[in-house]
Amino acid sequence: MLPFFDMPVDWRRFILILAGGATLGFAWNAASGRGIVLGQSVLSQAGDELVKAPDAKALLDKGALFLDARPRDFWKLSRIPGSLSLPEEDFDRAFVEVEPRLRRAGTIVVYCSGYGCDASHVVARKLREKGIAAAILDEGLPAWQDANLPLDNQARP
Amino acid sequence: MSGLLARPRIQLLLRLLLGAFFVYASLDKIASPSGFARIVYQWQVAGPLPSNLAAVTLPWVELVAGLLLVIGVWRREAALAIALLLVVFLAAAGSVLARGIDVTNCGCFSVAKEAAASGWPPAWMKGVGWFLVVRNLLMLAAALSLAFVKARAPFAPASE
Repeated sequence: MLPFFDMPVDWRRFILILAGGATLGFAWNAASGRGIVLGQSVLSQAGDELVKAPDAKALLDKGALFLDARPRDFWKLSRIPGSLSLPEEDFDRAFVEVEPRLRRAGTIVVYCSGYGCDASHVVARKLREKGIAAAILDEGLPAWQDANLPLDNQARP
Repeated sequence: MSGLLARPRIQLLLRLLLGAFFVYASLDKIASPSGFARIVYQWQVAGPLPSNLAAVTLPWVELVAGLLLVIGVWRREAALAIALLLVVFLAAAGSVLARGIDVTNCGCFSVAKEAAASGWPPAWMKGVGWFLVVRNLLMLAAALSLAFVKARAPFAPASE
């Protein structure tokens, strides 16, 4: 018989390895002090205010100001309508440009390219340090697009 | 080929290498669950909750299976568990590559933010790319051979 088809594997042990590893993982997460909150993005911190895409659209319709925290080249290609570019990587310089608008704005929503990016969180926190409250678009632009909400695709110089 | 893989010394070597590799790979992720979760997010394969579950559990499965392989207890099942992990990693890498997402630090070993910027290892070794796919395919072959190829007794004739 071919050795490859001999299958001398004990499946109970196999399951035990997977289940045991996962159990240790949960125990470590709960007891080590380094654990994460499972139901929430680790990018969120206390004080972060998240808005879902449909709620953000309602805010946009009421005149909320949107800030694009992605690198400026992305904003130039496509953006949420009316949004201003405030890239995380160039925050200090870009903030000076938009500060008067931000100080006048009612509601502000910051977004970036999805839950894998923490630029919107970083920008919202930096704004908070400057006394400007801003909500974060939960799961960013992909969530906006998944909800079939409008984008402004006209290229900007 | 299966004759070579059935040699006890080859199996011992593969077992120690693969086991040690996975034990080493698990440590930094276990030390920093939030750092690893951030990297899982960058792969953009699943939403925050499934990504968090993967970030919390996968490194420990790597550690347990790697240790069992090294000490030689339940080694077929441990090798199979590692094979399953590798299949999951390969599927995720395939999805990342197919969607053209740029993941600069795969999180395979180090999850530190500086790891993405440091000069060594080079970017093609750290990111999600063909190096990772080929390396994981080789390890998958090794893991499957450890799980399913029967070791020949050291002095048995080769032609069984």
